[in-house]
Amino acid sequence: MQQPIDGVLEAPYVMEYTYRRSLGPVMSAFFTALRDGRLLGARTASGKLVVPPLEWDPETGAAIAGLEPAAEEGVVTAATWVAAPEPRHLLQEPFAYALIQLDGASTAMLHAVACASLEACPVGTRVKLVWSESRTGSLRDIRCFEPVN
Amino acid sequence: MKQRCAVLGIGQTHHAAKRGDLSMSGLVREAALRALDDAGMTFDEIDAVVMGKAPDFFEGVMTPELYLADALGAAGKPVFRVHTAGSVGGSTAIFATHLVTSGIHKRVLTLAWEKQSESNAMWALSPKYPFSPPTTAGAGGYFAPFVRAYIEFTGAPEHIGWQVAYKDRIHALKNPYAHLQMPEITIDMVKNSPVLWDPIRYLETCPSSDGAGAMILVSEDVAEASGKKVAWVHGTANRTEAILYPRRNQVLPQAGSDCAKALYKEAGITDPKREIDTAEIYVPFAWFEPMWLENIGLADANDGWKMVDSGDTMLGGRQPINPSGGVLSSNPIGASGMLRFLEAAHQVRGTAGEHQVEGAKKALGHAYGGGSQYFAMWIVGAEKP
Repeated sequence: MQQPIDGVLEAPYVMEYTYRRSLGPVMSAFFTALRDGRLLGARTASGKLVVPPLEWDPETGAAIAGLEPAAEEGVVTAATWVAAPEPRHLLQEPFAYALIQLDGASTAMLHAVACASLEACPVGTRVKLVWSESRTGSLRDIRCFEPVN
Repeated sequence: MKQRCAVLGIGQTHHAAKRGDLSMSGLVREAALRALDDAGMTFDEIDAVVMGKAPDFFEGVMTPELYLADALGAAGKPVFRVHTAGSVGGSTAIFATHLVTSGIHKRVLTLAWEKQSESNAMWALSPKYPFSPPTTAGAGGYFAPFVRAYIEFTGAPEHIGWQVAYKDRIHALKNPYAHLQMPEITIDMVKNSPVLWDPIRYLETCPSSDGAGAMILVSEDVAEASGKKVAWVHGTANRTEAILYPRRNQVLPQAGSDCAKALYKEAGITDPKREIDTAEIYVPFAWFEPMWLENIGLADANDGWKMVDSGDTMLGGRQPINPSGGVLSSNPIGASGMLRFLEAAHQVRGTAGEHQVEGAKKALGHAYGGGSQYFAMWIVGAEKP
């Protein structure tokens, strides 16, 4: 570690501001549904289901055709291991961060998978959603996913 | 050989203190779709997108041009971000114009925005640096001394500021998109409003707004094939100077007058006082109207305030200034310059609605930013240049 030099001053410079966000009609409906224990995806004009939803079709920029319930089960398409979770992590036991493509969805979503090891969660593993008991309208309303035996 | 460029589509949001009904992407989308609709086009036909806004930390979204690309149908297209502080809406339109005049693209969507309800410009403009006392001044505190200096130099009476503030709010009543709608406004209300930063009174300041403005800029062949009335770009100019240097004139910055001179030269204007029918200039504090009139040569030195006093700058006057209600009636910071530019285009297309200046053939759009450092201007005309 670098030692301070006599006579040379330094000071912390903290910039902080609490921003606000207006979510608009699509993402407001998505987060409200999470609070109510329902997962929604966005159906695009070309028939794809984007989960979590986006306001506009990422391929064409067109407005989405509508929101509809997404499946609560799917498969892992990629995963990495969190060996030493920090207090701010979703789970306090070692877990996998995974991209999960829900049944019927065209895109994968990132979330935690509660499993014993990365080897226990290879690509193709079937997982299902576990809801949090108290929900506030946030992605943490999904507690995690867990392998389906 | 430079190609001609025309404004084919114009769109803006309904500006408000808080557009809580829309996300950031919904906000830019509202302006973009209105511009496309006005041009009779869809996103598919757009070649490139040029976006501007104030610094990223206003809303705390880094590189928002990428985040907002989906909302603007920009996937797979060139997307550019322009960054010149408060003048950015103007510089953005100029950059987009150059993509057309250089012959690179034929149909460019240009858009600028700010969502001040998700941000705090006062905070963003006055960070507390270590070893220095915080100024907590914001823009008003920064510019107030220059307003005071202008008054001292020119001997302008105090009521000039009240008059500009009143005039722009009366103009705004004719613009359905304007944020402030104050049918009850009187000169006495301005006069009796509290002093925020001497000599600037509350009603002599701009509001804080959510909003976006957009234009579809096209090449000559596209403009002609459309069969629509367009605004032709006659000239563009940008100039920038440092915020502090010895003998800097902060009231009438050299970058502003140099920018105007370059603009008039390119647009073939020799007598701007007579050849320009109306101008939309960036006036966030009322006194900046007479100051900028002098800075860009629409009034002689020390005479800007007399032009205001005579009523020349009101709708129906000799050279109406900010017929849309200007920044004093809507200030989505990054978008404010774009709004000046697109309102100038409305005037020469004859599509300004109730705030139309009758028979306007040439109009000037002006934007400034930073500590009166960044300038962007254009002149648009009803006829080809």
